[in-house]
Amino acid sequence: MTTGSMFAEDDPRRLLSDVRAVAGRVRRDQRLTYVALLVLAAVTFVAIPFDWLFMRVHCDGSGCAFARRGMLYYWPPTLLLAYAAIAVSYVRAARARGLGARVLPYAITGAATAVVFTAAYAAAAAYFPAHPPFGGGPIPFWWIVLDRLIAPWGLIGLALLVLARLERNVALLLFTLGYLVLVLLVLPTTDGMHLPDWAVPSFLSGTDIQLRWSMTPSQLIIGVVLLAAGIAFAKARRSQR
Amino acid sequence: MTATDTPGSPDHPATGLDEVVHQRVRLGILAITHEARRVEFGYLRTHLDLTAGNLSKHLSVLETAGLVDIEKGYEGKRARTWITLTTAGKAALAEEIGHLKTLIARVETTTADG
Repeated sequence: MTTGSMFAEDDPRRLLSDVRAVAGRVRRDQRLTYVALLVLAAVTFVAIPFDWLFMRVHCDGSGCAFARRGMLYYWPPTLLLAYAAIAVSYVRAARARGLGARVLPYAITGAATAVVFTAAYAAAAAYFPAHPPFGGGPIPFWWIVLDRLIAPWGLIGLALLVLARLERNVALLLFTLGYLVLVLLVLPTTDGMHLPDWAVPSFLSGTDIQLRWSMTPSQLIIGVVLLAAGIAFAKARRSQR
Repeated sequence: MTATDTPGSPDHPATGLDEVVHQRVRLGILAITHEARRVEFGYLRTHLDLTAGNLSKHLSVLETAGLVDIEKGYEGKRARTWITLTTAGKAALAEEIGHLKTLIARVETTTADG
């Protein structure tokens, strides 16, 4: 881009469009979207064994109750570390290019989601065993969506909306909206997935094991979606250069 | 064209243009610095396709007008010069963009009126 082609001094329309063009160029140079998505994909995959190992399951004649303690042990510190790593990556990359970074509000939002998740999980674990929501009766769909929203995967989506706004990144916004539809309306992230018999490996026998296994597919799908998006954004970035 | 549409009349948007800001290179510097929050001398030189001397002169004009802060330092052994926009610089850029939009609206209205 040259000054000759960039700014025509006496044409206000062209001056304004050139100002917008250079601002857009700076924003593109500051982006590191694929790093954020790849870090989030990695932490989603690593969460699976934690969820499996630390889940408490209690079955009796009336059915099974479970508590996903692994989520409480794993996600709060991991979210904080993940957002710190993303922020450092953004700042270092922008600095190497000779620019400031605009990632701080995203990192703060991410850290806040870790606090929200911890508080909500602790409050639910303390209150609901003695006071089941809706008297133990049928749970309305809005409650299920709210439950999924304050789960780590929903909160990741909310923070990505902030990143899309900061980067004014339409592609990331569209991806995030699709992602939120997936984790809030499609995948049973908080209840476990009812799997057909053929989808359960023969060595996973017993109600306890099958309940743990039912939580895995949703997390695998979310991890794969984030990983695929991270790779796609990385390829798009490379092709733009 | 009415009296207020005449360039030079007090109400014409071109009258409010700040000559320090309404200059193609300096406007580019302000726009990049605003978007980047903080920008290194080398980035500006590359993206505005200027010589170091020419860019320094423009930065000096902006610094004298109180629109940018210039901070010199080292990263390892490498000298680095970072530019940030001052509050006055942000206001001046916003004002310039406002004037440009008004000018464009005037031109479009005048064209539509024949």
